[in-house]
Order: sequence, then structure tokens, then C-alpha cells
Amino acid sequence: MQEQDYILFEDYLSGALDAVEIVAFENRLQNDLEFNKAYKTYVHASKFLETHLENEEKQKAFKANLESVSSKYFAKEESSKIRFKGINPWYYSLAAAAILVIGFFFAQQFSNPVYGDYANYGTISLTVRGQQSEVLSKAETAFNSRNYKEAETYFSQALKTDTNNMELQLYRAVSLVELNNYNEADALFDDIIQTPSVYKNKAIWYLALSKLKQGDDAASINVLKTLPKDSEDFKEAQKLINKLK
Amino acid sequence: MSQKKIHEDQKYIVGLVENNAFIIQAIYDKFAPKVINYIKQNSGDVSSAQDIIQETIITIYNQAIEKDLKLTCPFDAYFFLLCKRKWLNQLKKTGNKEVTINEEVLSKDDDAQELAFETSLFEQQHSLYKDMFEKLGQACKDLLKATFKIKSMEEVAKSLGVTYAYARKKKSLCIGQLTKWIQESPTFKNLKS
Repeated sequence: MQEQDYILFEDYLSGALDAVEIVAFENRLQNDLEFNKAYKTYVHASKFLETHLENEEKQKAFKANLESVSSKYFAKEESSKIRFKGINPWYYSLAAAAILVIGFFFAQQFSNPVYGDYANYGTISLTVRGQQSEVLSKAETAFNSRNYKEAETYFSQALKTDTNNMELQLYRAVSLVELNNYNEADALFDDIIQTPSVYKNKAIWYLALSKLKQGDDAASINVLKTLPKDSEDFKEAQKLINKLK
Repeated sequence: MSQKKIHEDQKYIVGLVENNAFIIQAIYDKFAPKVINYIKQNSGDVSSAQDIIQETIITIYNQAIEKDLKLTCPFDAYFFLLCKRKWLNQLKKTGNKEVTINEEVLSKDDDAQELAFETSLFEQQHSLYKDMFEKLGQACKDLLKATFKIKSMEEVAKSLGVTYAYARKKKSLCIGQLTKWIQESPTFKNLKS
């Protein structure tokens, strides 16, 4: 193709041709196979550039987030492997016997499961979006360092401008449970459970933990039973139900 | 793609697009162990599994952002197939490694096969376009970046200190150069797009 052809493609795409030129252009598209192929590739390349360049920043943020989750996940993989490396099988039976004895003792003493056994929220990482980024990063730091009072304040602040953000609502509710502010927390969980969001099942699980913390085992069991089979915490929930019964 | 029912696992795709750490974590917890096992059984180690998984997630993310990916099968089957193919391709490139294909873990889901195939086409096309864009001269790259970010050609011309007519012409020629290289590349000839 000549330089002139590429200029023509752009003029056609941006609507800079007059009626007669458009007819001539479309005729050539139909009759000249090479011209047609080059035009199609030109359109694809333009589309690619548009989405690729427009989303460049977003893609960078995504990669950073992904890398952080990946390295944490694989660090865990490695450490669990190292811990079990090179242990004489004989020790396993000794260890198993010891665990049985200790386990039996503990089972007798403290058979009731408590909130602390399950309240493992891990570390959170919130998407940075425009003006909210400072509040969000403060919320994230406070939550990850278990400073729930501060975290709750920042989540509330962020939610003022991003009212429907389910992720923030979920973490705010978790912070409220930690602060023993159950009524507000449970109401928030209920709201999230009513939505079709991806946080629905997490909200059910955390609501059950909230009930557990409040000492209301029956309510906790009822909530746990609503957790769908394919949810992440289903197995854990079944174990908890059995312990609570 | 035909009008197929969207699978409920679309939530993972949505979560990736939203850059939701919660969902990314869930993808690792739920789907990574199977991939790691497969790669370990086939001449690889944990660190190659880490790279394969990460690259696969980035491809899915790109396709979701650029082509509005709709999942018509379980995420598990789709993700595993993509990781597996990527790993087998890598082994082929480095050569002489023996590969045992474990039939039990192969997916028999047709939708997953089809979707994984589409994704690998997308990936090849995407990396071809990206490589060719990187080959362009700095002036072209700057102009195209400005064009697709600012949108208005008048403003682009102003920001680069050139005339409007020059900016327009230059844009066509830069995309033209890209078009030419793409058409000439052997990868493009193999890809029937």
C-alpha cells in the first residue's frame, strides 16, 4: 500500500470524505482484495491502539496487584514445602500420637468453637481510584494492621462518595464486628447478601461469624446453612455447624 | 461467539476487570494447585508454574478488557486448559523435554476448548500488535498515545506543537506502518483473523 492509501483509510474512518469519495472508496474495497485486506488490518490496529493505550494505566495497576497476590501465594507454597522437607517418617507417628493426646485434652477442656478461631481476614488490597486513593490506602493500612476503629472511619468516609461499593461495605461491616458494633454490622451484611454481588457469600460467612462472636450459636448455624455448596467457605462452614450442634 | 449462556463463573472475569484483590486471591486459592501439580508432573517446577499462572491471568484480563470476554463454561476448565497449553508450548520451544499428558486432568468440556482456543488466538494477536507498536519510532508512539488518550486531533496537535493537518497525516502514516509490519509478519500469516 502507498502512503496515500493509509491517509485515505483514516479520512474514511473519521468521516472526512465527501459522498462521491465514499462511493469510490467503497467500490475499491469491494474490487481490490489487497486494498481490502490492508484496510481491515488498519481498522484492527486502530482498535487495538485505542483499547490498549486507553487502558494502559489500568493494566499497570492490575499487574501490580496480581504480582503482589501471586508472590504472597507462592511464598506460602514455598514455606509449607520447606517446613515438611526431610522429616523422618518415624517422627510423624510420634507427632501424631502427641497431637492425639493434646487434642483429646483440649477437646475435653474447650470443645466450643470461638470467633477468634475463624476470624482470619488476611490482608486486603483496595483498588486505587482517583481522588479516593488516599482515604482508601489509609483504610487498607488501618485494616491490615488490625486497627479497626480507624479503618471503620476511613471506610465510612470512602463510602460517602462511593455508596454502592460492596467491597468497602463488606470490610466496613467486618470492622464493625471487630468493634462489637453488631447491629450495624449485621444490617450491612444483610444488605450485601440481598445483592447479586461477588461478595454475597463472604457476607454470609462473616455474618455467621458475627453471630458466633455474639454467642448466638443457633443464629450462626441458621446463617451457615444458607451458604451455597460452591462457595469458598462451604467446607469450613460445615465443620463449624458440626461443632456448634 | 454464538449466543451461549453465560456461566456463573463470569464473576471471576468481572472481578479481574475490577482489579479486585479478593477475586484474584480466590483464583489462586481455588485453581492454582491443579496447575502447579500438572506442571510439576511435566518437567516443570513451582517457579515456572508461578509464571505460567500469572501470564495466563494477564491474558484473560486483557481479553476481558479489550474484547469483553464472556465465559460460557466453568472457569476451572477454561483456566486449566489455558495454563496447560501455555506450558506445553513453552516446553516445545525449549525442546527435548518429555511431556506426559495426563488424560484424567484433561478437560472434555467443548465450550472450554473453544473458548480457550479463542483466548490463545487473542493472545497471539495481542502480542503481535504490541510488539509491532513497540517497534515504531518514538515520534509515532508519542503521537499515537496522545491521539488515543486526548481524542480531539486539534488538541493533540496543540500538545505536540505541530499543525492539525500534519498531526492527522502523521497518525495515518504511523498506523499505516503498523499495518504494514503486521501484514508482513509470519505470525499474522498463521493467524487467520
